[in-house]
Amino acid sequence: MTPRRITALAWIAGLAAVLFAALAMLPPKPARGFDLAAFARIPVLEGGRVKPIDSVARNSLLMIRSKQSFQVDGTLMNGVMMGGRTVTASEWLLDVMFRPQVADKQPVFVIDDPDVLGLIGMKQSSNRYFSLETLQPFLNEIERQAQAAQPVEPRARSRYQSAVANLYERLYLYWRLRNTVQNPEASGGLAGQLAGAAQPSEAMHQETMIQLAHFRPLPPLQGQSPDAWLTVGQALRNAAGGQANPGLTHLAGIASGYGGNDPAAFNRAVGELTALASTARPEAISHASHELLFNRAQPFYNGMIIYILALLGIFAYAFMLFFRPGHWFTQLAKEGSFALLVAGSVVHTAGLISRTILQGRPPVTNLYSSAIFVGWGAVILGLVLERMYRKGFATAVAAASGFASLIVAHHLSMDGDTMEMMRAVLDSNFWLATHVVTITIGYSGVFLAGSIAIGYTLWKHIVKNPEPETERALSDMTYGVICFSLFFSFIGTVLGGIWADQSWGRFWGWDPKENGALLIVLWCSIILHARWAGYARDRGIMAMAIFGNIVTSFSWFGVNMLGVGLHSYGFMDKAFVALILFCVSQLVLIGLCLLPRRFWENSPDTPRAKKA
Amino acid sequence: MINRIAHRVWDLLTSLKLTVISMALLMALVLLCTLAQVELGTLAAVNTYMRAWIVFYKTKAGFSIPVFPGGTLVGLVFALNLMALTAKRLGFAWNKAGLWFVHVGLILLVLGEFVSGALQVDARMAIEEGQTVNYVEHAREVELAVVEGSDPRYDDIYGIPEKALARGGSYALPGTPVTIKVKKFYTNAVLARRNPADPPGEVNMGVGAGVKVTEAEPVSNDNDLNRGTAIVEALAGGKSYGTWLVSLELGAPQSFTHEGKTYALGIRPRRTYLPYSLHLKKFSHDLYPGTQIPKNFSSLVTLENPGTQERRDVLIYMNQPLRYDGKAFYQASFGKEDTLSILQVVSNPGWLLPYISCVLVTIGLLIHFGITLRRSMKRRQEALAPKEA
Repeated sequence: MTPRRITALAWIAGLAAVLFAALAMLPPKPARGFDLAAFARIPVLEGGRVKPIDSVARNSLLMIRSKQSFQVDGTLMNGVMMGGRTVTASEWLLDVMFRPQVADKQPVFVIDDPDVLGLIGMKQSSNRYFSLETLQPFLNEIERQAQAAQPVEPRARSRYQSAVANLYERLYLYWRLRNTVQNPEASGGLAGQLAGAAQPSEAMHQETMIQLAHFRPLPPLQGQSPDAWLTVGQALRNAAGGQANPGLTHLAGIASGYGGNDPAAFNRAVGELTALASTARPEAISHASHELLFNRAQPFYNGMIIYILALLGIFAYAFMLFFRPGHWFTQLAKEGSFALLVAGSVVHTAGLISRTILQGRPPVTNLYSSAIFVGWGAVILGLVLERMYRKGFATAVAAASGFASLIVAHHLSMDGDTMEMMRAVLDSNFWLATHVVTITIGYSGVFLAGSIAIGYTLWKHIVKNPEPETERALSDMTYGVICFSLFFSFIGTVLGGIWADQSWGRFWGWDPKENGALLIVLWCSIILHARWAGYARDRGIMAMAIFGNIVTSFSWFGVNMLGVGLHSYGFMDKAFVALILFCVSQLVLIGLCLLPRRFWENSPDTPRAKKA
Repeated sequence: MINRIAHRVWDLLTSLKLTVISMALLMALVLLCTLAQVELGTLAAVNTYMRAWIVFYKTKAGFSIPVFPGGTLVGLVFALNLMALTAKRLGFAWNKAGLWFVHVGLILLVLGEFVSGALQVDARMAIEEGQTVNYVEHAREVELAVVEGSDPRYDDIYGIPEKALARGGSYALPGTPVTIKVKKFYTNAVLARRNPADPPGEVNMGVGAGVKVTEAEPVSNDNDLNRGTAIVEALAGGKSYGTWLVSLELGAPQSFTHEGKTYALGIRPRRTYLPYSLHLKKFSHDLYPGTQIPKNFSSLVTLENPGTQERRDVLIYMNQPLRYDGKAFYQASFGKEDTLSILQVVSNPGWLLPYISCVLVTIGLLIHFGITLRRSMKRRQEALAPKEA
C-alpha cells in the first residue's frame, strides 16, 4: 500500500467518525404515531432560562434515573423478545404528565444505597431501579426520614442521610412534573380545569399548580416582558379573571390527545402551540430548536467515543511497531488514530461552540464546562505537538486526556441543567472570558504535561530500545507544555485577583480556590527553576510533572470539596473517593518514574543531545 | 570577617536553591492555610499561617512550639532572594529582557501583598433607602459612643475606641463635663438574665442591672462577631451617674441627664466619619424568573461632598465599585426586604500594584518564552538540515 493510500484511508476513517457523530442529530421516529420530535421542541422557561421541553425532560430523567433515556422490556413471545424499546426522555415526561398509569409502573428511580434499599424492604441485588408504584407504600416513611436529614448541613450528612434526602428530592421532582400542566386531582384533565376555571372549587387546584410547577410552558404574548412566562396555574387563574391565554387550549389538546391515545389530536395541538410561540417569541423557538439539536447530538458523549477509538488505534500502532514495524498497517494505525483524534476534536469543538452560543457566555461557566474545556485544551495542544514531533505519542496522550476529562464531565452532568444561570457576582462575560478561560487553559496544560510524563514513564519501562530522539522529543514537549501552563496559570490567577478586586474589594483573600491556583503557579515555577538550576534532570522533571496532576486536581476539585470560601458555588461531595484514588495512582506512577537504576531494563536517563 | 559573612549571605540570597526552597515552603504554607480554613475560618487561618513570622503549634498544656516558618518570613526571604537574584544573575542582555519584566513584576506583586497586609482597611456602610450616611463602620472593632443631642441641627458624638476601653482608666470627654471611667471590658461576652442566686454585680443603672455578664472566647469564624461589652461609670461635674453595662448585644443606648443635657451611652461598631456622604436612592435586586438565583444587585446613590461642591448620582453594582477619595465602595450585601444596601468600603493604597505587575509579567513571559521557542525551533531546523542535505 502506498503512503498516499494509507493517508487517504486514515482520513476516511476520521471523516466516518464525524459523520457517525452527525447522524445522532437526526430526529427520532414518532412513537405510536405521536410526533415526539415536535413536542420536544416546544420552548418553556425553567431554571431562569428558555429551553426546549426536551432539556427539561432529559435533565429531570438524568436526575431521577442518572440516564437520559431507558429501555423497557418487551414481552417474551415464542422465545423471542418482542416490543422491547428505548423510551426517550420526552416520551417519559409525557407519560409522567398525562399517562400516570404507565409512568408509575416504569422503574425509573435508581437507588444504590443499601440502607435506603433496606428502608423499602429490598435487598441489594442487580435490580437498582424502582417504579413509583413499588415505592408508594413507603412514601410517608421516606418523607419522614428525609425531613429528619434536612436540617443537617449537606456536608455533614451521613451517606444514608444524603441518599434518603436525595431520593426524596427526586420523588418531589417527579411530583412537580406531574402537577405542572394539569392537576391530577381535578377531574377532566386540563380541559376540564380550563372549562371550570372560574369555579371556586378550582382555586385550590390552581394554587397547588402554581406552587408545584417545575417549568413555565406559556410564552409571554407580544408586547409583554420577555421574562413574563406563565405557569399553567397562573394562566388558569387569569382565565378565571376573564383573561384567556390561547396557549391553554393547545396545552389541553396535548394533554387529552396524549392521555386519550389520539396521536392526530396531539400532533395538531403541538403544532398550534409551536405556532403560537413562534409568532409571540420567534427567538425562543429558534433557541429551542438549536438546543434540541445540541441535546440530540450529545457532542461530548460522541467525542468521548471517538477519543477511545483514537486511543485504541494508537495501541494498535504500538503493538504493530513492536512486531511488524515495516507493515503498512502500522503506518495506517498511526495516521488513522491521528485522524480520529482530529475527528474527535472537531466534534468536541463543535459542541463547545454550540454550547457557548446557546448560553451566550464564554465556554467555562461552571465545573462541568471547565472539565469539557480542560479536555479540549489538552486535545488541541496535543494536536499541535503531534504535528511538531510526529511520534504518535502526543496523539495517545491527547486522546487519553480528552477521554478522561469528558468522562469527568459526564459524571458532573448528573446534577441537572449544565447551562444554569450565572449568579450575580459571576455575571460578567468579560471576566469569565479572561480569568476563567485562561486559568482553565492552565489546567489543561498541567494535565497534558503530566500525561506526557506518564506516557514517558510507561514507555521507557516497556519498550526495549527506546529511541533517544523520541526521548528528547518527550522531554522537550514536557518542558514546553509546562512553560505554557505557567504562563496561563499565572495570568489566570492574577486576572482572578483583579476580578476579585473589582467585585469583592480585595485582590487576594487566601480563598481556597485562589490558593489552589497559586499552588499550580508555584509548582510550575518550581519545576522550571529546578530544571534551569540543574537540580532535576529529565526523570526528575517527569516525576514533578506527574505530581502536577495531583496539584491541579486538588485546586480544581479538591478545594471545592472543602466547602469553604467564596468559590464554593462549585460544591460537590461525591467525587471525593475518585479524587483520592486518582492521587494515589499518580503517586504510584511517580514511584515508577523514580525507581532506582536496577529496576529499569534500559538506562533510565535520557541521552543528551550531542553538541554540534 | 564581616566581609566573609556578607559574602556568605549574598551567596545564599542569590542562590536558586533558596528560590526553589522558599517556593516549596510557600506551597506547603498555602496548602496548610487552605486546609485549616475548614476548622478555623479564613481570617484565623490566614493569620496563623500567612500573616505570621512563625507558625506555632499549640499543645494542650498551652505551650506554643514554633514548628514552621510563617508566610511573612518566607515571603520576605522570597522577595529578597528574587531581588538579589534579579540583580546578580540577569545581566543587561537583550535576551534577558523578558526575565527582567517577569521578576520586576513579581517583586511588585509580593510588595503589593505586603502593602495590603499592612495598610488595607476594610469597613462597611449600611444605608437604608432614603437615608444619608456619612460614616463607615469597622465591623470587627467596637467603640463606646456618647451622644449628646440637645442641638437640633447636629449631635455631638464622642467615641472611645476599643483599644482605650481594653486599657481601662478614665476618659474625660473634651468640651463636656462628662468623664467615663472604664471599670471592665470584655472583647467578647455572653449576656444572660440575672438569677436571684447570682452574686450582686457592680452595675446599678439601666437594663444592665438585671444582666449577668460572662466572658467568652474571642470568635475565630469569619461569620461571627465579638460582642464587645464594658462596665463603665459615668461621672459629670464631680457627681457619679451610676455604673452602667454597655454592650454590642444591648440594642438601644441608655442615657442620663446632667444639667439639662442628655447623654446616651452605647457600644457600637467603630465608626470613621467621612467628609462626604452617600444617599441611597434605590436598591435593586432581581432574580432570574422562576428561580431564587440572584441576577443582579445594584445601589443607586447620590454622592455629596460639601468640601468640593460635588453632587452626583452613582450606580454601584456587582463588579463595578465606586472609587472615590482613595476608597472603593462595593456592593456587598443587602437586607430588610431589599430596602437596605450594605456596601463594602476598602481603602488600599497598594491596589494598583497587582494591575501593573500583571501587565509586566505577561509581557515578560511572552517575550521570554517567545525567545526560547524561536531558539528551540532554530535548533530543530539545524538538527534536521544535515539529513535533508
